[in-house]
Amino acid sequence: MSLLIAAFGFGLVSMSVIALAAVGFTMQFGITNMINLAYGEVMIASAYLAYYVNQAGVSIWIAMLGGAAFGAVFSFLINRFVYAPFQRKGTALLGMVIVSLAVSLMIANGMLPIVGYFSVAYRERFSHLLRIGAIALTVNQIVIIVLAVAVMLAIHALLRYTRLGKAMRATAANPTLARNCGIPTQRVIDVVWLITGGLCGLAGVVAALDSDSFTIASGAGFLITALAAAVLGGAGQPYGAMLGAVIIGLITELSAAVWAPDYKQVVAFGILVLVMLLRPQGLLAKRGALAAAG
Amino acid sequence: MAGGRWRRLLTVPSVGLLLVLAGCGGSSGSTGGLGSGDLLVGVLAPFSGADANLGPAYYAACLAAAPAINNNGGVGGRHITCQKFDTRGEPADAAPAANQMIASNSNLMAVVGCTSDEASAVAPIVDKAHIPMFCMTGQSEFNKTKLPYFHRLVPADIFDAYGMVGWVIYGPSHPAWNKVALVFGDDIGSQSFVQPATNALQHFGKTVKNFPIHLGASSFRTEVQSMLAFKPDVIFTEALGSAGTYLGEVKELNGGQTIPFIGTSATIDPAWFKDVTSTISVNDVVQFYRGVDLGYTFSGTAYDEFKANLQTAASTFANAPKYGQRGSTLHLYDGIIMTALAMVATNSKDPTVYNPKIKEIANGTSGATVVHTYKEGLDALHAGKSIRYTGAAGQNNFDQYNNSQSGYILVKYDAQGGEVQLASLTPEQTKKLSDAGGL
Repeated sequence: MSLLIAAFGFGLVSMSVIALAAVGFTMQFGITNMINLAYGEVMIASAYLAYYVNQAGVSIWIAMLGGAAFGAVFSFLINRFVYAPFQRKGTALLGMVIVSLAVSLMIANGMLPIVGYFSVAYRERFSHLLRIGAIALTVNQIVIIVLAVAVMLAIHALLRYTRLGKAMRATAANPTLARNCGIPTQRVIDVVWLITGGLCGLAGVVAALDSDSFTIASGAGFLITALAAAVLGGAGQPYGAMLGAVIIGLITELSAAVWAPDYKQVVAFGILVLVMLLRPQGLLAKRGALAAAG
Repeated sequence: MAGGRWRRLLTVPSVGLLLVLAGCGGSSGSTGGLGSGDLLVGVLAPFSGADANLGPAYYAACLAAAPAINNNGGVGGRHITCQKFDTRGEPADAAPAANQMIASNSNLMAVVGCTSDEASAVAPIVDKAHIPMFCMTGQSEFNKTKLPYFHRLVPADIFDAYGMVGWVIYGPSHPAWNKVALVFGDDIGSQSFVQPATNALQHFGKTVKNFPIHLGASSFRTEVQSMLAFKPDVIFTEALGSAGTYLGEVKELNGGQTIPFIGTSATIDPAWFKDVTSTISVNDVVQFYRGVDLGYTFSGTAYDEFKANLQTAASTFANAPKYGQRGSTLHLYDGIIMTALAMVATNSKDPTVYNPKIKEIANGTSGATVVHTYKEGLDALHAGKSIRYTGAAGQNNFDQYNNSQSGYILVKYDAQGGEVQLASLTPEQTKKLSDAGGL
């Protein structure tokens, strides 16, 4: 029983990391209609930037901001110079997926000679371990949970209570109509890439910190869990991604505690397949934050 | 590595031009049965993906072997070149990579690499093309392989498991290790250690429990918590790419205390050392890590030349000198040298002719002259002698299935990542262990 409770605590950490990654990913798709398979590589590129800043003596919590800023700018540039020109030419969604896959490979192979294939770790990877009953979490992990909750609340506030959020929702619902109503959709999309790119960068640093050590190959793993949470919750729905992160984060850890740990991914993705069979649109597809305003 | 890739891209038209010019001007530098033009060693291994750290060790072997041969006139005037063929550590990617390597390179003299990730997929392809290969796989399916072009210079994986049990039973300077946690990755190669280790440990009265982990996961906290509840005295492990994360979490959840852990020979690797020291510190690795490796002397004429050539190879591959004590690098270096000597000995570029000679040069025949370098071998062959090559990794002893076995040593790391030998297992001890393992 104590292992189950401990696993629940670890699940809170996992779901926080996944939520940070999945919300940015799903917003990119929901608002810009882009399934960005380069998301995992941007995460790992941001994690490496934070690593180099951290190695220069800067605290990882400050370096994390650098990672987020890098993710924002990098994602914005990728969209401006690669994705947007293809979209303007009317490239179909499947074609855009292939383009993003190509970008992913270019980033990974472009980074390899720079960062090498050796594992690296942040200087502050260890922090004090706190025990609350059977739950054992480090200070770093508690900060990650708090950070994820704060970011989720900020995303909720952005989408629900700001003019920008309403413009995003309008652009997501019907970009042509939104443009005709005077919403500068191109500018909105630029801002979306900056915000989601920032989330991507932040998630990359958090995931790398949570993993203790990481390599250039870690990006693919980050993408798969973010993608799974986004699809489970309903592609394009931030609240769905949050729910998906909660389910996948908790189930992977709890199934490792009660069943064979090497099957924890099987259990999580088995549930994903089951949900997709019963509710192909995902858990929150009709009630998401990006549904049309009003 | 990308630099290498660009260089290759630029090289392609140049090579094409040279081939056209050679075709116009007739054969140049032809030396009878050995042909002309550069010879290629294909390094067929993971250079990307989860096992991306493996390929560079094999590439370094080739880069070191090439000057050993080329600086002594090559193979009948033909120079050796090395080319990477990335399998990504996946059979689905490896098979096309092998086919492409064979189809586009008629000058392929040997293939090195083919790890447990892809050996099952690529070995039959390379064998069908009649290209001698030296594979770094310990999979049991190759223990009695019928592929005549397959060569294995390292023991089957199960012997690594016996070596680890040997640490517990015969290893020096450690308290009694009675409870053993097996923490191996969920890949086929790593899981092959579990059963023989379990059998042997139980035979010697030890308590053992298996805690497999999913390689590549971003965290193993629940698995670690479960393993810690078992209260092991020592951990057996090979979880390449995930060891740093796992052991870091062990230390974290065990109140900052690292549990002694024993690694397979694959953990004697600079990438693994960097991965684990980055999470649990160099001091902990020096103090708590123990490993098994094949018995190398890291000395002698052959090793000195290998080491010097690795330094030279740094101009092509900056990390090459780091593989000076990596067993696979040493063995594959020897494999390439033996293949080149076999070509010279048979005066043939036809692998169906020189392939059987590799085994003869490795094992030696009665009255054979022992040689340690390509140059020594060349001189002896030119003097009409038969030779036995004992190279940088020591002596080879191929059995009828082209598997070469040698003894195990018990090792640790020093603070610089160098291997330190603490003891060795005698043949009698190894036999007791393998009998206990029963496989």
